[in-house]
Amino acid sequence: MNLWVNNQPVDLLKGMTVRHALIQADLVKEIEKGKKVYDEWGNEVGLDGVVEEGQRFEVK
Amino acid sequence: MRSVRRTERAIQKKWIIGWILVLSLLVAGAGFGWAGEEARLRILYLNDFHGYAEPHRPVGSSEAIGGIAHLAAEVNRLRVGQPTLLLAAGDMIQGNQWANFFQGASVLRVMNTLGFDALVVGNHEFDFGQEVLKQRIGEAAFPVLGANVEGLPEIKPYVLKEIEGGKVLIIGAVTEDTPVMTHPRNVAGLVFLSPESTIQRILTAHAPEADLVIVLSHLGLPADRKLAQQVKGIHLIVGGHTHTRIEQPLKVNGTWIVQAWEDGKVLGCLDLMISKGGIRLSEGRLIDIKPGREPVKEISALVEEFSRRVKGELEEVIGEALVDLEGQGARRQETNLGDLLTDILRIETGADLAVLNGGGIRTDIPQGPIQVKTVLDALPFNNFPVVLRLSGKEIREVLEQGVSDLGGHGGKFLQVSGLRLIYRQSAPPGNRVQEIRINGQPLEPDREYLLATNDFLAAGGDGFSVFKKAFPDQASSPDWKPEPGSGKVVLYDRGRTVQELVIAYIKRQKKVTAATDGRIRSRE
Repeated sequence: MNLWVNNQPVDLLKGMTVRHALIQADLVKEIEKGKKVYDEWGNEVGLDGVVEEGQRFEVK
Repeated sequence: MRSVRRTERAIQKKWIIGWILVLSLLVAGAGFGWAGEEARLRILYLNDFHGYAEPHRPVGSSEAIGGIAHLAAEVNRLRVGQPTLLLAAGDMIQGNQWANFFQGASVLRVMNTLGFDALVVGNHEFDFGQEVLKQRIGEAAFPVLGANVEGLPEIKPYVLKEIEGGKVLIIGAVTEDTPVMTHPRNVAGLVFLSPESTIQRILTAHAPEADLVIVLSHLGLPADRKLAQQVKGIHLIVGGHTHTRIEQPLKVNGTWIVQAWEDGKVLGCLDLMISKGGIRLSEGRLIDIKPGREPVKEISALVEEFSRRVKGELEEVIGEALVDLEGQGARRQETNLGDLLTDILRIETGADLAVLNGGGIRTDIPQGPIQVKTVLDALPFNNFPVVLRLSGKEIREVLEQGVSDLGGHGGKFLQVSGLRLIYRQSAPPGNRVQEIRINGQPLEPDREYLLATNDFLAAGGDGFSVFKKAFPDQASSPDWKPEPGSGKVVLYDRGRTVQELVIAYIKRQKKVTAATDGRIRSRE
């Protein structure tokens, strides 16, 4: 399942979460520093939210 | 004289009847009745609570938020003088230890006390197995919905609720991917149908009876948007699954969509104005839940009661370590705790081999009684087991990555089970693995083996990108349907953590011991 975090492609299993996407993109530390994750519609999402094929997330 | 009295009585009677009629109309106008011009219905909603009953501090946050007793105070405040529905969009009973130790019974007690009107099953409602789920449904004082789940009659497809003269049709739908998000045994015999066609069928049959149609969804925001695009006649989707903080209700193809983030950090509140002419959104918002507001005492008492019991559960002695089990060296070398944990992971998942990252093993387990919290201290991360079908060539790549940084600072050094590994420390990274043997035989590059690991490594944590090769190419096949047990992903169990597998194993064995047996050796 392909998706993107900060325009970086990420490949995950069905059922994996935002947290897994950040692990693969090596961005978990950014969350520890206080940054947040947003979906392509600008909604904040929780780290345990399930991701879907083709979604785009931004860490900021 | 008598006729004058009779006339006075008749006038009094008419006045009384008149006042009753006026009062009835006033009451109807203030409520949800359809006789009035426009009626208000308030919908309060929560999703992905995951048993976070106490206020907690999420990663990256400087303050504690949430707390179900504080959320209850908001619910009670918002209910005053309003016809109200309180809805839960799934994943309520599993996650935090406050829920898990009681297989969700603690959450049901709170939900019943709070007076929920309906719950849709989320994928995590299946995590304790079907018998436990039936038990939880039996305890619920509200309908538990899931129209697209076939095979468990206790789960109802929809509920038609009458509120002060108005009829609200609430249809439940859960993600079709549920079978790949929990252990296959938890969904054995169940079929998860297409939400769109299932909802369409119910709408055709029952929407004409209803004044308002709500889908209580555990599908996730992208799927909710798709549902709104494809199926006409849904006024509102109250969603969950993607843990999305939708600050303002979205409108897609005439359908309102809401979702209230996660873990009871916010409460969703939506005010609808309903009339014969249609449904109008008056206001929608999320209310932050924080300690500070006076909690509801009855809910606080329940939270405290179960928290005390969690403490007791954490201190429960589950077995005995016959020797000191060393975990702290697991980032640099084979340790006996690393051997034990990977052996347990391999045995409990039925895999041929198992690997765990040394960085995930944080403390030793000293000789003597083992408490639940001893295991949780040694394995503090809530990682879930994954079993992948990998070729011998891919397994070699996994093991190469495990010895690519031998400084002991990172956590990627692998503890292993089911194989023996010899590596050369002085060789360049990528060429360090010298020998791999399985059951005394050399690893065969083209043969497939079942390798158990955790979801952190499977997701590519610590640079283990090689695992991605085992993932199905879903990008080229948007209609890909998960089939647990087949293909390269044999198991991805988000219902039971690796910690819980270890606790269950120690409980069964009573006494555990392990000695390093030289399964990982450096040639130098």
